[in-house]
Amino acid sequence: MDWLLLLEVSLAGLGTGGLYALTALAFVMIYKATKVVNLAIGEMLMMGAYFFFAFSAALQLPWWLAMAGAVMGGGLLGAVIERLTIRPLLGKSTLSVFMVTVGLASVFVGVVELVWTADPRALPEFIPRAAVFIGPAFVAPKIFYSFLVAAALIAATLFVLRFWRGGVALRATASDQVAAYAMGINVPRVFSVAWIIAGMIAALAGILVGAIGGISSAMGQFGLSVLVVVIFGGLDSVPGALVGGIVVGLMEALAGTYLGGEYKRLTPFSLLALILIVRPYGLFGTAEIERL
Amino acid sequence: MRIGAAKATYAADEALFDSATQRCWLGVLFTALVCFPFLANAYWLYLAGLVAINVVSVTGLNILTGYTGLVSLGHAAFLGLGAYTVAILEARAGTNFLLNLVVGGGVATIGGLIVGMPSLRVKGLYLAISTIAALFILQFVFYNWVAVTGGSAGLSVPPARLFGLVLDDSFKFYWVIVPLTVLLLFGAANLFRTRIGRAFIAIRDRDISAEVLGIPLLRYKLMSFGLSSFYAGVAGGLWAYFFRSVTPESFPLLLSIFYLAAVIVGGMGTILGGILGAAFMTLVPELLKLIVGWLPIQGDTLVIISPLRTIAFGALIIGFLIFEPNGLAEIWCRVRRFFHLWPFKT
Amino acid sequence: MSNSFIIRVLQLLGLAAGILSTAATVRAEEEIVIGGSIPITGVFSFAGVNIHAGIGDYVKLVNDQGGVMGRKVRYVYEDTGYKADASVAAFKKLTSQNPVHLYYGDSTAFSKIINPELNRTESILMTGASFATEINDPRKYPYQFMVGPDYQAMFALLLKYIAREKPNATVAFVYSDSEFGRDPIEENKKTVANLGLKLVAEVITPPGSVDVSTEVLKLRRADPDYTIFHGYVLAPIPEFISLARKMGMQSQFMGTFWSMDKNNIMKMGEDADGFLGIMPYRYSDDASADAPMLEKIRQIRPGYQSTTYLQGFVAAMLLLECAKRTLEADQELNAKNLKAAFNSIKNFDTGGIIGVPVTVKSNSIPVGRIYKADLKNGKMVPVSDWLTTE
Repeated sequence: MDWLLLLEVSLAGLGTGGLYALTALAFVMIYKATKVVNLAIGEMLMMGAYFFFAFSAALQLPWWLAMAGAVMGGGLLGAVIERLTIRPLLGKSTLSVFMVTVGLASVFVGVVELVWTADPRALPEFIPRAAVFIGPAFVAPKIFYSFLVAAALIAATLFVLRFWRGGVALRATASDQVAAYAMGINVPRVFSVAWIIAGMIAALAGILVGAIGGISSAMGQFGLSVLVVVIFGGLDSVPGALVGGIVVGLMEALAGTYLGGEYKRLTPFSLLALILIVRPYGLFGTAEIERL
Repeated sequence: MRIGAAKATYAADEALFDSATQRCWLGVLFTALVCFPFLANAYWLYLAGLVAINVVSVTGLNILTGYTGLVSLGHAAFLGLGAYTVAILEARAGTNFLLNLVVGGGVATIGGLIVGMPSLRVKGLYLAISTIAALFILQFVFYNWVAVTGGSAGLSVPPARLFGLVLDDSFKFYWVIVPLTVLLLFGAANLFRTRIGRAFIAIRDRDISAEVLGIPLLRYKLMSFGLSSFYAGVAGGLWAYFFRSVTPESFPLLLSIFYLAAVIVGGMGTILGGILGAAFMTLVPELLKLIVGWLPIQGDTLVIISPLRTIAFGALIIGFLIFEPNGLAEIWCRVRRFFHLWPFKT
Repeated sequence: MSNSFIIRVLQLLGLAAGILSTAATVRAEEEIVIGGSIPITGVFSFAGVNIHAGIGDYVKLVNDQGGVMGRKVRYVYEDTGYKADASVAAFKKLTSQNPVHLYYGDSTAFSKIINPELNRTESILMTGASFATEINDPRKYPYQFMVGPDYQAMFALLLKYIAREKPNATVAFVYSDSEFGRDPIEENKKTVANLGLKLVAEVITPPGSVDVSTEVLKLRRADPDYTIFHGYVLAPIPEFISLARKMGMQSQFMGTFWSMDKNNIMKMGEDADGFLGIMPYRYSDDASADAPMLEKIRQIRPGYQSTTYLQGFVAAMLLLECAKRTLEADQELNAKNLKAAFNSIKNFDTGGIIGVPVTVKSNSIPVGRIYKADLKNGKMVPVSDWLTTE
């Protein structure tokens, strides 16, 4: 039993899991606040990565400035999406909103292909290239730093949700919209803020994913794995997003190494089938109670 | 001008086509369908075949999503099941064309029943996502069960043979696809005159109430899955004969999304919506190519057609959902009403 | 939306449909039609766009010189996104709209799928982006050919090179989980044994995979002397190489035709120094020998042209050469005659794109050369002669 390989593969899986958790956080934020299942989360990721590409490669800005620009662009995108496509459908069936996000995903992919063509590209290097060793185990530096950034951001978000007024307002709106209105919370503004923050997080996650594997118009596929993560953890649970991300990332890496590369794509969906049988609302999700 | 429609018998009330004008127009449509292949060239026949296959598939999805309210993103997988079954039977066993289609539909039905099992435990979007999982699992099987499905190379399908005639070009194939499609459409329309169809609609509107009224939920939900998968399987079989090749890549998630979009754009919960949606979504890429050809763009327009098609697809879904949630069928009905009530305003 | 607006839109659509149906008729003058399922978008788009340009340029060149035996050449194409079923749909569409004589297919999967149809209609000679070994069989694929040696032969050449450079070396195969990727693997496992080499790792990557760090870990465990990549155009080779070097792997890296584009290799940076691979053609910026066609290409398109451009160019050249020979023999342009013309190609001069005059063998052009990447000078340096594969 090659323990070193197991350790290395697990670390690699954890690293990817961190990115899954980050994206899942963006997804959960949108779902908690506005009850929208955003299938376009992978594409929002992609847009963030392409904004970074445009700022750093085309406009030749230094990487930290490009990153700030891309994150703000992601936030702006979130606000625009919410205003133009989600707000008009307030009150309509969840399927309608779901399909709107599907349509959005298509539009984003098309726009990216139009402007930048469908070629996969590499982002300018900004992550330190020196190899990272945890003990005897090698960790790919990109994955290591991405994990650190993801962990820091998740911690920051949790802190913000807990202590900032806006975060409290978000949690209040998520649990009971009418009561939140009654307490004087500007619910439409909370919706916008939720989408903006989610857009920013997704953009950052996109930059990290793009730094690891390059960017292309097919990057949105990442969103499908994230969908599994949120179902696994619970659609409206932040801790669920974290746990789900780590578990799915780990399982994927282990399956890919020990079962074979073909199984890498199958793993998240098998996990999904499993969790739907055992705990349909996810590990930490709230069970929906339907009333007549 | 038609004002009101006084029906004297239950049969008249339930009739699919309730006025003489409507039956007349139906006659015109059938005549047009019969004359079409003699007037159209090979390209239009090819498109007609494609539209027919999509109509069958979209009608199936409409039964599940439009009439029963169970969102499914796994529809492409059932098409795949039907296509692979037909391909294997035709290539290895050489059995009768119609038998193959029925068996293909049957295998897809079994798949649908299995995928529909979670529908008692999970609802709404969770069910939709579990159908995505089913799609990927089936895709994995298509890719890796090499002995049966030929793996990533896929299978090649010999042309269909009916009464000794080899259906190897679009013209001959038209005469089989279109009557089959019409038959299946009438079947679907008729379904919603029976109690099964009404049960589906009740489940869509409020499934808990439906259960209270005595409709066994699991049985009817499974029936819905099964029926919709049967349609998908038959459509898949026709696909296999039409394209003469079946590969695992032919049935991706994007195809399921395409069909769901067709259901929504056409109009959920109406048979006419299924027809219009399928025809519209199939012909939009061709229309787009024409429009792009007219625009004064320098250089090779092919490079922008594909992204434009993707954008148009997304924009259509969003546009219809925001501005016309009841789809093309609603627009059609409005136009009809305009003519019915003329010179009064609608 | 108001009703009158809708009615006006409907009228316009009806008019458009009417015009459309008359416009979409088949043009049947005396022409030679090349049809193409081209992956202009999608994962192979880098190659597809250049192949498209290569074919288009050659067709234009020929038409400017009066066409083939006085007949103009028309190139019709559809984008397929490198999806097999889109390729088939494109084929059906193009052949129902035009009298296609010659065809370019975008993938191994498509070539295999469309084969029964080609055999049934017997009216089209086809080549494409595939160098799949299975297609190099005139009995099973009578109306297809490839524009270079097949993947197995390419792989075997690389293995022979390894055996010569370092006897008893250890080798690893890294390939993509696709028809393209799996093609040469099984047969070459035997070649490895025959040459006294040892296969220490076999890594499969899912198509379109983003993160390959776990695969590189597996590779590092095996620590091969040589690692051969197959089934990729660009990604994830750069990621593999850079991670491997960071982990301290000393392996030499090699690739087959589609990974040999100079710009792609140079982009990989210093990690890719010494990258080896097989190329059936000269590089477009190779001015070392007398190559009139390469000169012409340099005139039409200044600057380095990708290997994929050359592939399309040579494909069009060979297709039209077959058409020319068929017409010269006063024969009808059908599949049998065109293929017979192909089989008659002996000591054919490609204008210097391929370094030696070529004679076809089976369904392939069995010539190739091994190149090595010299990153300091930004050039691809040949490390072997023009070898004929067996």
